[in-house]
Amino acid sequence: MTTSAPLMGATVPRREDERFLTGRGAFVADLTGPGTWHAVFVRSSYAAARIRAVETAAARRLPGVLAVLTGEDLAGRLGPLGSLHKPQPAFVEAFSFHSAEIDLPCLAIERVHYVGEPLAVVVAESRAIAEDAAELVDIAYERDEPVADARTALSATAPRVHPELPDNVAASLQAGFGDVDAARRRAAHVVRNTFRIGRHSGIPLECRGVLSRWDQARQRVEVWTSTQVPHFVRTAITTATGWPTHQVRVRTPDVGGGFGPKANVYAEEVVVAYLARLLNREVAWIEDRAEHFQATAQGRDQELEAELAVDSDGRILSWSVDYVVDVGAGSLWVAGIIANTALHLLGAYRIPHYRVSGRAVYTNKTIVAQYRGAGRPEACFALERSLDAAADAAGLPPEEIRRRNILRAEDLPHEVPLPYRDGVPITYDGADFGRCLDACLKLLPAETVTDLAADYPDLLLGHGISTYVEATGRGPYESGRARLLPGGTFEIAAGSASAGQSHETTFAQVAAQTLGVPFDAVRVRNGDTDAVAYGIGSFASRSAVVGGSAVYTACRRLRERGRELAAELLDVRPDDVDAVDGGFSSSDGRDIGWERLATELAPGGGLADHQPLDQTSTFSPPTVTWTMGAHAAVVGIDPGTGIVRVLRYAVAHEGGDEINPAVVEGQVRGGVAQGIGGTLLEEFAYSAEGQPQTTTFAEYLLPGTFEVPPTAVAHLHGPADLNPLGVKGVGESGTIAVYSTVAAAVEDAASSAAGRITTTPIRPSTVLALLTETEGEAS
Amino acid sequence: MKPAPFAYVRATSVADTLAVLDSDPQVKLLAGGQSLLAVMNLRLARPSRILDIGQLRELDRVFDDDDSILIGALRTHRRVETDPLIRARVPLLAEAARHIGHVAIRNRGTLGGSLAHADPAGELPAAMVALGATLYVESHTRARREIAAEDFFTSLFTTALEPSDMLTWIRVPASHPTTGWGFTEVARRHGDFALAGAAAQITLAADGVVTRARAVLFGVADRPVLVTAVEQTVGNRPDPSTWRQVAREAAAALEPADEPEYQRHLAVTSLTRAFTQAADRSRAAHHRGTQS
Repeated sequence: MTTSAPLMGATVPRREDERFLTGRGAFVADLTGPGTWHAVFVRSSYAAARIRAVETAAARRLPGVLAVLTGEDLAGRLGPLGSLHKPQPAFVEAFSFHSAEIDLPCLAIERVHYVGEPLAVVVAESRAIAEDAAELVDIAYERDEPVADARTALSATAPRVHPELPDNVAASLQAGFGDVDAARRRAAHVVRNTFRIGRHSGIPLECRGVLSRWDQARQRVEVWTSTQVPHFVRTAITTATGWPTHQVRVRTPDVGGGFGPKANVYAEEVVVAYLARLLNREVAWIEDRAEHFQATAQGRDQELEAELAVDSDGRILSWSVDYVVDVGAGSLWVAGIIANTALHLLGAYRIPHYRVSGRAVYTNKTIVAQYRGAGRPEACFALERSLDAAADAAGLPPEEIRRRNILRAEDLPHEVPLPYRDGVPITYDGADFGRCLDACLKLLPAETVTDLAADYPDLLLGHGISTYVEATGRGPYESGRARLLPGGTFEIAAGSASAGQSHETTFAQVAAQTLGVPFDAVRVRNGDTDAVAYGIGSFASRSAVVGGSAVYTACRRLRERGRELAAELLDVRPDDVDAVDGGFSSSDGRDIGWERLATELAPGGGLADHQPLDQTSTFSPPTVTWTMGAHAAVVGIDPGTGIVRVLRYAVAHEGGDEINPAVVEGQVRGGVAQGIGGTLLEEFAYSAEGQPQTTTFAEYLLPGTFEVPPTAVAHLHGPADLNPLGVKGVGESGTIAVYSTVAAAVEDAASSAAGRITTTPIRPSTVLALLTETEGEAS
Repeated sequence: MKPAPFAYVRATSVADTLAVLDSDPQVKLLAGGQSLLAVMNLRLARPSRILDIGQLRELDRVFDDDDSILIGALRTHRRVETDPLIRARVPLLAEAARHIGHVAIRNRGTLGGSLAHADPAGELPAAMVALGATLYVESHTRARREIAAEDFFTSLFTTALEPSDMLTWIRVPASHPTTGWGFTEVARRHGDFALAGAAAQITLAADGVVTRARAVLFGVADRPVLVTAVEQTVGNRPDPSTWRQVAREAAAALEPADEPEYQRHLAVTSLTRAFTQAADRSRAAHHRGTQS
């Protein structure tokens, strides 16, 4: 088999860019037209209340209003959304994992649990009229006592967010290995701290949006939604409505960012699909930013009590953590989030004794989903901050304590005596984690601070480092499909739908190389449950690994089947035909191109009685594949204001083969930008009554071009034997270690003792207080 | 985020505007819409009637008088920022305008709109108080009134404007060639609302003695705060510690709402920096004078 210059590994320009950069993308809102009716959801004004009555008569009377439905109207017709993730029994057993079951109705019926919870829906001829009508819906609430803080929610006397449950614990786990107590007794230094990562999330440029219509001819509902998980949305709709799967088709048009909150399924998606059929109209709901701040799932919001014990050389003896995750009124992903923290707390180090316990807790705040990193940044923050504190105690530089503990080539692959969520015992399938640390420090050495001093005479400069590990490419499976089109070109589809990643480019690279055809001969069709019947979605750093491998196997099969057909046409045995660039060649020197095959398969052709060339394949990885990386930052503090600027950033990470290096770097840089936002700027704040205090971009501060520095990226190759492409996931690599890296750099800049910054976002007032404190100590 | 229903009228002249304002006290003037439309879209403001004055070209003009500049209320922030005349004659004002939001906002937002809105973190209200500007207020029934900027801003988002009043022109004294100016603002990100800020104008004599000093703090109280303590520097030759001392005195008198200690600290930082910039510029002006 011959191949042309490899496409995989090449920086092919993104096909998506021309469309997106010239404003020609087509998002859900772009699909609405003159015949579209607009839905607006009436949302709870209170964090905890009983609904005594919902009066809709005035809203119904408003001209232009088609329908107003309440939770009561939908009771018995629409069931609740089911949870999206259940861990495997081996994990459940090893971690004594428990989770509570809640069934929130799509529209609240008796009770509301957070501000922004949908409780009625208005359909009108325009969004403006629908908003006017929504205001006329009169709700009689009887207010209950809310709980807006996870620690409070755990107390025996706390009001229960879901009164049908015995307490506010959404999920819990505990596990460990070795003997932490005995190990701690041998320690030279024990550092204890309570760490907090504030509530924030990915903020997509495009808010959510759903458009749906009833296809009367085919007797099914068509749905376009801005999601990372079209197949999960289909399942949610069929589960809630009882409609058979063949009656629901879900597609994703261009999606303007997901980051995890759109890897969730939402009541709005179910309700809009239901309304389209009920009303026999095209109905759209386009979430606006005010709604997004209240009603789209949020992330993080975790507190960890951690204790790290090291010997006099700084070698880790034991590590124990107890943590609490605030999942608001609930999370369909609660198992994934709580498990991720426990599974990533061990980091890139040799840790002989480990004990972990965690609880996910309900509060009267907005629901939670998995935000880029999903429990890992929290784990990384606790471990890396504790290492900095232990280094200080042991009199070691931060990089030295890491060098003494990090897993090196001779330690890898490294087995951890605990199962992953998929039930498979954890194995870090890496090459050399110490190499990443060295590479990162080479990209951005601590001496950079001295070099930059002249450029920033008014700032206090500091340097920080961290490392992280990440399990990527989780299963259970993904689907890929490849088919030959008339004319000899190909259409590729995968269950992992794009939310703005580069699937149109990277999947086409995989397919074109596997098929031995030019890049231009392949086009990728985005999320569509009609294109592949089954799928999981794009999240958890899994699309390239699992979706890419499914595309690869589908293309392999297509090419093999093409070879058989070519042999038939040439009247030789398949073994006498080779797959070559652009088609097939027989041992006697005759060539059949893909275009010829397409012609022969068409009516009138020599293969017209054969099945079309169309292969669907699913790929199920044996387990997750682990990546590792190191981050370094140089920050500057304005000593007059405490405001921190990140001036330089570097990431060295160990992955598999890169399908497209520019895409990999883009993932890392985008991840770093979001990490900087979460570390310094972004937070969803709530009052004690559970009222959101962050309701516009004036309060929710996103990093812009001034806040995100140049980021150097080094990609180091490691083994990736768990999938045929030899790739690992990279989607979350840029985010996980930013929090601890920047915190360490801020402490260094403030000449403060290590481990003092325990909370993100790091407020300027906190930094200023730290400066005042160190000045006081110095004088 | 659609506004509640409202009636819309476009004004054709200032006289027309004043007549409408007089007949309907509920009417709300719309100029650049950078504050009003946002709160209307959130339904936090629900005016029954909007009078759009955006087309009143007569108020989109600037006049160069002998010792002052007269600026129409409809001049956009961006034009204030980039106008060579304003940059030459009242550089502090151009600099203040540069700090407002982002270019897209400055292309729409107007000087009159910003002053009438009276956001306590607003750059232009602060600049006007620091510059000692005079605001011209007109109404259908009363004679034109001239209100000093420091009397115009009365509280949080509240001014001396009556419901039937319209702010038409702003007269800004031109800065003396040896007057130095300083403008600083502390914000989490470029373009954000100020956590604290300061504007200062300092005139030094050739021997370094202060002959005139005026300064304002903003973002730290319910309106721009004139820093009277700076007057004590007049007749003295200040050193860096003098400015910090004045700033500390001014900040101590503040009672900021949230994180008071931190905001006072920011007030000291921004005021000290504004003073230092202003004094340095005044000294540089003398230096240029002796060289030429």
